[in-house]
Formats: sequence, structure tokens, C-alpha cells
Amino acid sequence: MVDLFKKIVFKLYVIGLMCFTVWYGFFMFPLIFGFEGKEEARASLEAMRGGDTEEEQMYTRLLTEQTKKKTTDLGYKKIQQPYIDGRFHHIGFNIQKDEFSTCVRCHGNVPHDESKEIRSFLNMHTFYLACETCHSQPAKGDKQWKFSWYDKTTGQKVSNPQALLDIEKSYTSDDEKWQYPIFGNYGAKITPTMTKNNEQRLLHGKKEMDFVVRYLNDQKNLESAQKSQMKKVIHRKVSKQPVECKTCHKRGKTKYIPFETLGYPPMRIDELTDLAVVGMIQKYKKFYLPNFLNPGGVNK
Amino acid sequence: MSKYDPIVYKDGKRYFYRFSAHQRIQHVVLFTSVLALALTGFPLRHAEEPWAKPLYDFMGGTEVAPMIHRIAGSVLLALFVYHTIYWMVKFYQNHIMKLKRENRVTFMNIVREFFSQEMVPNKKDVVDFIHLWKYLLYFTNRPPRHDRMSWREKFDYFAPYWGIPILGPAGFILWWRDEFSHLLPGIVFNAAYIMHTDEALLAVLFLFFVHWYNVHYAPEKFPAAKVWLTGYLSEDEMIHEHYSHYVKVMIEAGLEEEIKPQHFGGRHYGW
Amino acid sequence: MNTTEQSVQIVSVSHSAEGVSETRTARHLNWIQFILFAVILMVPFDKSNASNGEELNCLICHKHRGLSRIDEQGKFRLFYINQELFESGPHRRNNCKDCHNDIDRIPHKPAKKVDCTQQCHIIEPSGKRKFSHKFIAETLAKSVHGKLDKDGKPKPHQEDFPVCKDCHDQPFYRPIAIYKGEAEHGISQRSITRCKACHKTGNFAKDFYEHVTTRLHKTRFSKEIVNVCAKCHGDSEFRKRHELDDVIKSYKETFHGKLVFLGSERTADCIDCHVVEGENNHLIEAKTVPTSAIHEANLGNTCRASDCHKKASPQLAGFQTHVTYDRKKYPLQFYMLIFFKALMAIILYFFLTMIFLELLRRLFPDFSFMKDNAPHHIVKPEADKDKP
Repeated sequence: MVDLFKKIVFKLYVIGLMCFTVWYGFFMFPLIFGFEGKEEARASLEAMRGGDTEEEQMYTRLLTEQTKKKTTDLGYKKIQQPYIDGRFHHIGFNIQKDEFSTCVRCHGNVPHDESKEIRSFLNMHTFYLACETCHSQPAKGDKQWKFSWYDKTTGQKVSNPQALLDIEKSYTSDDEKWQYPIFGNYGAKITPTMTKNNEQRLLHGKKEMDFVVRYLNDQKNLESAQKSQMKKVIHRKVSKQPVECKTCHKRGKTKYIPFETLGYPPMRIDELTDLAVVGMIQKYKKFYLPNFLNPGGVNK
Repeated sequence: MSKYDPIVYKDGKRYFYRFSAHQRIQHVVLFTSVLALALTGFPLRHAEEPWAKPLYDFMGGTEVAPMIHRIAGSVLLALFVYHTIYWMVKFYQNHIMKLKRENRVTFMNIVREFFSQEMVPNKKDVVDFIHLWKYLLYFTNRPPRHDRMSWREKFDYFAPYWGIPILGPAGFILWWRDEFSHLLPGIVFNAAYIMHTDEALLAVLFLFFVHWYNVHYAPEKFPAAKVWLTGYLSEDEMIHEHYSHYVKVMIEAGLEEEIKPQHFGGRHYGW
Repeated sequence: MNTTEQSVQIVSVSHSAEGVSETRTARHLNWIQFILFAVILMVPFDKSNASNGEELNCLICHKHRGLSRIDEQGKFRLFYINQELFESGPHRRNNCKDCHNDIDRIPHKPAKKVDCTQQCHIIEPSGKRKFSHKFIAETLAKSVHGKLDKDGKPKPHQEDFPVCKDCHDQPFYRPIAIYKGEAEHGISQRSITRCKACHKTGNFAKDFYEHVTTRLHKTRFSKEIVNVCAKCHGDSEFRKRHELDDVIKSYKETFHGKLVFLGSERTADCIDCHVVEGENNHLIEAKTVPTSAIHEANLGNTCRASDCHKKASPQLAGFQTHVTYDRKKYPLQFYMLIFFKALMAIILYFFLTMIFLELLRRLFPDFSFMKDNAPHHIVKPEADKDKP
């Protein structure tokens, strides 16, 4: 019995060693004959890059750029940051991806394009406001929504972000540590919830996400008309008129989004609801960009 | 050689003499310097691979690692010279002196003595080599019977013997490039560079597989052979690798009756 | 709007500490807009140590990482300014408007591309004149990277020739400390304390320290320099268009390249060999130009530059750096390479095959086409012994 076991171990070891020998043969090949494997990979990538249309080329470029990183070595510290072709200023860090939002899944993180003057401002908000916050409103007769922070990856309710308090420190403290607060990267979004059957729930929770995923998987089997139907259903909660800037950015107590309960420190609230933002919005609306407060870009 | 008994007994087992302490120390110096050279050289050769920088930093980074490389290289080159002198003295003592005593010093006799040295390839190696291939291709069930040094050991031995004369001077030229530039044209550095890097690759690939197979990976050796430490080889290993020599030593020791049969494959090992 | 051109002076809240004139001119403003500006500038947002970029309170919006859009060409445009990184380099003494001088209000329409050769508010101390990168652009135009050939005709493939931004992003200071002994990275607190003893105001001491010590060594890590050159020279399509060898690959095969990629700062990168010692780094010239660092006549001196192979003879320059192993261009290297590759392949694959077969043989120790019937347990030493 022991002999048999020894024999099996011996044979297995020998077979393992044979595999190792073969692996070594493959391992040596590029070492001896240059890095062929990689060159082929590069050549094929370049062949892809030389794709037919401008659109194809752009798509390939996007795919490679996605992971592009840039390292700057200052000797005493290394700065690693995302890299965008042709950008002069530094970016510093990557913002956390939203993997939970059903809207972002198709529309992406930079969806606003229509109102030329303010599209960048609107896109800026997508990093810390859920789409529903502005693009859905409670139906008539429904209770007002409750807002809380929801994690971007898990979709779970989380406590108010610490980063907001750090922002406050940057105003009050002279400590260098708080000199450069980071705005907008909270790992969570302000998301509205509605009360249904005495239960607090998200407008687009896991159930809706599963529905969208199912639709995305099945859509090639659907008729054109069915596709339109599905789209209508998915977008049912989207209101025609988005919430206006001044709904939140205005002075006084009655606010759509309760900044205090969401953890915004007093000085930051002042900024958002006082001259800095509100002033800019209002004055410029009058003198410079009449469409500034008018998402949709229509000159009234 | 008289210092060492051809056969010693320990725990009732026979052990056969292979290497003197002097030789074993030379081997230790050889492998430590070669390992140091490989560890400081290969991250440089493959500088762009992800493992290169951590390893190079571990070996001291761009300031210290080249220093280690140069010291180890100098040690290896010195060992090469030392070993060549050692070998020549041995040859003189054991072979030329014998001829002198017997008063037979002629050119042909010296050549003959030269080829009778245990490390020098000879006709039996060709015979064993052919026999091995017969065995490997199932044309015989008997493995070759090697003498004191098998052709594989001789190949292992002469690999550094051709490697160092290529690697060493090339490395030396690259080290003292500024000084050598007064003597040699610049293109020599290109040649030295290729010689150094490619021969090093050959040496390391050979070492890490073929030599390590012989002394580490092979089932009867795993995890490591002990002969480089003790200088003596066990009876099993002796029978497996040097059957011809084994029989000779046993007969010389008057143990003809106790000679064991030759092994087949790996069956007779501790597995 | 151009008809109502009117100059209004606005006092900036910049912390620039050189005693430089702090006034700036904003054009195209009518009086209402002026009041508006004043209002915005007075918001209680500025801290006492307010930084640049706040003279128009640009950061009120541009501090947001998400400020971005997709432009008409489908390009992702990010307008975020990382204040911490911006203030880690020499441009921190500039206001946004110094470069983006077409912006005079917020919010603003898409800004024009920045012209690096324009004058900015910084006064160049030695000449007491407004600072500009114009000289660099002129040097670049004379170099192999200039868009015009020596007859003033545009070179083919104009779009391939670099502008400032192709090689430079926002520069960083890279200070070193040499208070006692070897140079180290970072700021020597002991040294800077000595500056601060007299130059107390603002950030002057720190700016000056970083400005000077950054230039005592390479302002960019060699690996980054190589990557900058590789942006174009590493692209095979680009090389085909301009009939160039893959110099990046061949550089990486040299000890210079290898050491650079292992983190050495003491070895030569592209610029060290391609710029004549004492020349402006932007003056990289072709091999055929007599003043070029790599012209046959100058190559010896390039290698023997003061920080490199000082003791070498000019013969060292006979070393071929950018070897492509092309049979016609580099026959020696080609044949040596083939020799060693063949040698390696033969030896290693021979032994590999042998070991593989030997292992296989161990699995079938008894199998054989022919049995050796000779008694094998005792062999007379004479029978097998080789007699030379």
C-alpha cells in the first residue's frame, strides 16, 4: 500500500516535472528570440488603431485611453494620475465610478449636452447627485421625497461623507493638511427616496436595475416597437422639466435638498446658497447668459 | 587525494568519495558569485519587466547593485584564473611527475596523459552519449554506465569554462569603458554588450534548468543533492550515475562480492 | 462688444509675493459688469492665504472634479483644476488669466487655446522685462522639430511637429536638498530657514528655493523624458511617415535606457546626448547639421560632456547607440545576435528534449524494444572501461 502510494507520488512528480520542462521550453522562447509575443500584441493594436473610419479609430483610442496613467516622479514623492491626451493641467485622482445608477449605465457620467452654457456645470453635479434628484419629481399628491447619501457601488444608504467635514476644516483651519480639500468625490450620491407602503425605498433600486440589465441583454430579440415600449417604461419616472438650479441654490430655509441633514457644514451651505453661487447664477442670468438658468437651452 | 577514503561508512551505509574540500569551496565561491551576478544582472537585462525594478531595488538599486555585480564578477574571474592554475598544478603533480618518474616524457605521452584526466572528454563519453540516446528511445533497457565523471558533468563543468572567458572580458571592457576607449574603437563596446548579455542569458537558462535538474529537480535529488556539502555520494546515487566507476572502486576495495546490480529508472530510490 | 472697449483695472487678490505689479487689465466690460465683478470678488470665500486662480474666483467652479463635457468632436473635455498639483510648480505664481487671457468673466464661453509665447505678468528679474516663453518657441523652430525647413518651406506632415503642450504638461518643481553631503530630493528645511531669515514675506523664500534647486538637476525624471519622446517616436505609423528608426526601442536596449527604467537619475536620457552641452534643451538638431550634438564631428565631445564619460577618448563615440539589428545597417550586431541565438537555441532545446525524454523513460523503466541480456549486476571494470 505504501509502495503503491510512493509509486503514484513518484509518477506524479515525474509528470509534473515533464510539464515544467515543456513550460520552460515555452518560457525560454521569447527570452532567446526576443519579445515576440509583445510585439505581436503591439502590432495588432496598431492595426486596430489604423481602423477604417474616424469613429472606429476614436473608439479604439478611447479603449486604450481608459486605462492610461501618468506617473510623475518628483524624487521625494510620486504623483500617479489618470491621463487624458492633450491635457495640460493635472488631474490628480480618479473619481469613484457609479456602478449602481440605472441611468448612468446607459447615459454615462457626462450626459448633459443640450444647454451649451451650463452643460459642464450640470455634468459636475452628476458626480454627487443621483439623476433622479433633478430629473424626477414626486407625483401630485405624493409626499415630499427624503434625501440621503447612497453608496455609488453598493447602492446602500451610507452616513454623511467625511469629506464634507474636511471641506469645512479647509475654511477654518490654517493647518496645511486641510489646505486642499477635494470637492465632489464622496463615494456616494444624494439620492431621493419615496415612501411606499410605509417603506422608504429608492426610485431606482435593485429591482429596477435588474430590469434594465435584462432589457439590455434581451434587446436584440425585441421588435423595434417593443424596444420603444420598453424605453418608455424605463423612463417613466423621468419628469419633463428638470428641477431648476435655483430650487436648491437660493437663500432661505425652504430648500429642496436639506443640506444640513445631509452633512453639509455651515460655511459650505453659505457658499451654495449665498452670493458665491446664487449671486453668480442670478446676476449672470440677467446680463450675460439669459439661458443660464434654463436647462433645455430654450430662450424664453 | 590520499586524504580522502574512496569509501566511507556512516550508519551502515556506504558513501563514495567525489570532491575534496578544496573543490567544494571553489564550488561555493562559484555559485554565490554567479547567483549574485544573475540577481544584479537580469533585472538590468529585462529592465522593463514588472519584476525588474523591485528585484533591482532589493539588490541595492542603481547605485549599489552595479557595485555588487562588479565585485561578484571580479571574484568569478579570479576564481577562473585560480582554478586554471589549480588544475595545471594538479596535472603537473599527478601526470607529468609520473611520466618523469617513469622517464617517458614525450609529447605524445603528455597528450595521452592530458586526455586521461577525469574532467577531459574522451571516447567513452561519446559511447555513453550514444548509449543514453539508445536508452531514451527505448532501444535498450540498460542505462549507460558512466565512469567517475559522466559526459553531462563534463558539459556542466566546461559550460562556465567557455562562459567566463566570453562574459568576463566583455564585462570588464564595459566596466572600464572610458579607459578602454583609448585603446579600442567604439564598436567593440557594441560587441562586448551583445556577448555579455546573450552569453549571460545562455548561462543562466542552462544553470536554472539543466544543472538544477541534475542536482535539484531530478526525483532522486529533490529537493537538493548533498554532494556539494559532504563531498561524498550515496551508494544508490553512485550506482545510478557512475556504475562503471562504482564497480571499479568496489573491486579495488576488495568488495567485489557486495557489488549491487545496476538500477533501472527511478524505482530503487527512496520513493 | 469690441466697440465698447474700455479698460478697467481690477485689483487682484493674488498672493504673489515678489512685489510685482498686482494690477491687471480687464477689457470689454461695461460698468454693470464691473459692479458684478466686484461683488463676486468680495464674496467671503477667500481665505487669508488665498491662492492663485482666485483672482476671478475661477476655482469656485473649477475645483470640481466633475466639471466636464463632451465636445462636438466627441472629445472628453475636463475642466477640473487640481489646486494642490497646480501649486506644486512654477506656474503657481501666475493667475489663471495670465495664460487664459481671453476670459474676463464667469461663467465664460469656451476659452481659446493658450498661447505660451505671450507675455505674462511675471517680471523676469535679470532683464526687468515681462516674462515670455517666446525665446523657447524660437529655439524650437530652429531645431529638427521646427515646422519649417531651412529654406522656410513647411516640412511635410505638419501636424506631426510638436507644439509646447505635446511635450509639456503643467510643470512641477522638483527641489533638491544639499545641506550636508549628497543631494537628496525635497526641500532642506535648514537651507530654506536661512532664506526665510531675511525674505520673510509670503512664499518668496519657498518659490525661490524651489525655482533654483529644481534647475540644479534634471527638472523631469529621465524615464518621463523618454516617455515624452516616445509619444511620437514610439509610434510606428509616425516613424514610417518620417522614415525613422525605432530609437526608443534601441535606446531601451542600451545600458543608459535600462538604468533609466530601473530608476537611475545619473544616466543619460534622450536630451543629454541630443543637445549640445550648454545649449538650450529645445535645440535638438539632426545628425546632418554641423552644430548638432550627434554630428560625427561633435559626437566624441557629446559623450565626454562634463557630467558623463569625462575620462573617455572620443573613440567612445564609435559605440552605436541606436542599433536596430538591421542586417545591412548593423552587420556585426546582426550576425553576433544570430550566432548567440542559434547557440542558445541548440544547446538549451537539446538538453530540454533530453531531460523530457529521460523523465518519460522513468515512467516506463522496463519497456524496451531490445533487451540487454548481458548480466548487468556485475560488470567487470575492464569490460566497460575506456582505454585511451
